[in-house]
Amino acid sequence: MTKKKTAARKKRPGLSSHHHTHSEGQCVDLLRQLSAYIDDELPSDICREIRRHLGACPNCEVFIASLQQTVTLCRHRPAPELTSVERTNMRRMILDAVGAR
Amino acid sequence: MRAVASKKPPQRHARQELEGFDRLYRDHVDLIYRYAHRLCGETEAAKDLVQETFLNAYQGLKDFRGESKISTWLYTIASRACIRMRRKRKGEPEHELSLEEFVPTSEGEFRLQIPMDGLSPEEALQNKELREALDQAINKLPKKYRMALALHDMEGLSAKEVGTIMGVNERAIKSRLHRARLFVRRELSARGITQHDNQKSGGSRS
Repeated sequence: MTKKKTAARKKRPGLSSHHHTHSEGQCVDLLRQLSAYIDDELPSDICREIRRHLGACPNCEVFIASLQQTVTLCRHRPAPELTSVERTNMRRMILDAVGAR
Repeated sequence: MRAVASKKPPQRHARQELEGFDRLYRDHVDLIYRYAHRLCGETEAAKDLVQETFLNAYQGLKDFRGESKISTWLYTIASRACIRMRRKRKGEPEHELSLEEFVPTSEGEFRLQIPMDGLSPEEALQNKELREALDQAINKLPKKYRMALALHDMEGLSAKEVGTIMGVNERAIKSRLHRARLFVRRELSARGITQHDNQKSGGSRS
C-alpha cells in the first residue's frame, strides 16, 4: 500500500504550512474558518496551525484583526430605547388591533 | 341541549388573558424593540414590527407550552413577522452571499483596516462616520444574514438558539454568520474612515 494519503488534504479544515512559504490557498482556507477561530470553536491543533500561519502571514494577521474588530463593533452597537409614552401607545394599539380581529 | 363547554365566565377569562399579555409585554417589549430596530434599521418600521409581534403573541399565548424560553418564542415570532412584512413591502428576492466574493484578490484588500487603534469599542463608535458606516453595512445585508448577525453577535444568543429561531440547523447559522461578518468587515474597511475623522467627530457632536 502506497502512502498516497495526500487526498486527506482535500477537505481537512486545517492549514498545512510549516514555514513562511505558504501558498495563497492557505490564506483562503484560513478565511473560511476565521469566524470559528474567533468564536473559539476549533480544535486546539487547528488553532495552533492557524496561529503559526498568522505569525508568518501579515496579510492574514491584519485580516483577522479587522474581522475581530467588526464582531466587537457589532456587539457594542448602540440601540435606541423606547420612551414610556411610546410603550403605552404601542400597547394600546396592539390591544385595539386584537379587538378588531 | 346547549353546549356545556364554558368552564370560566368569559369576562374572567378575558381579564386573565389581558393580564398574561400585559406581563409578557412589560417584560419583553424593550428586548423585542431592540431586536426589531436591529433588523429594520429605523424607528417606525421597528415599532410596526413590535406591534405585529405582540399582536401575534397575544393570539398565540394560550397555546404557548413553554417548550422554549419565552424570549426565544418572541424572537421567532418577530423574525417571521419581519420576513412577511418585508416581502409585502418590497417583494425583493433574497440575495445569497458566497464566500468566494470575500476572498481578497489583491494584497491591499487583505490589509484593509478599521480605524479603532487603541480605542475601546465604545470610543470607536463615538465616531459618527464609523457608526453610520456600521449601520449602513448591516442594513445592506440580505435579511437572513442580518438576522443571524443580530441574534448572535448583538443579542448574544448561541448558534443553536439562533437556529431554533430561524428554523435551520446550527451549521447553516454559522455559515450565514461568517458571511455576514465578512460582508460588514469589507463594507467598513472599504469606507476608508480614518483615525483623524474619529477625533473630529468624537470631539464636536453635531
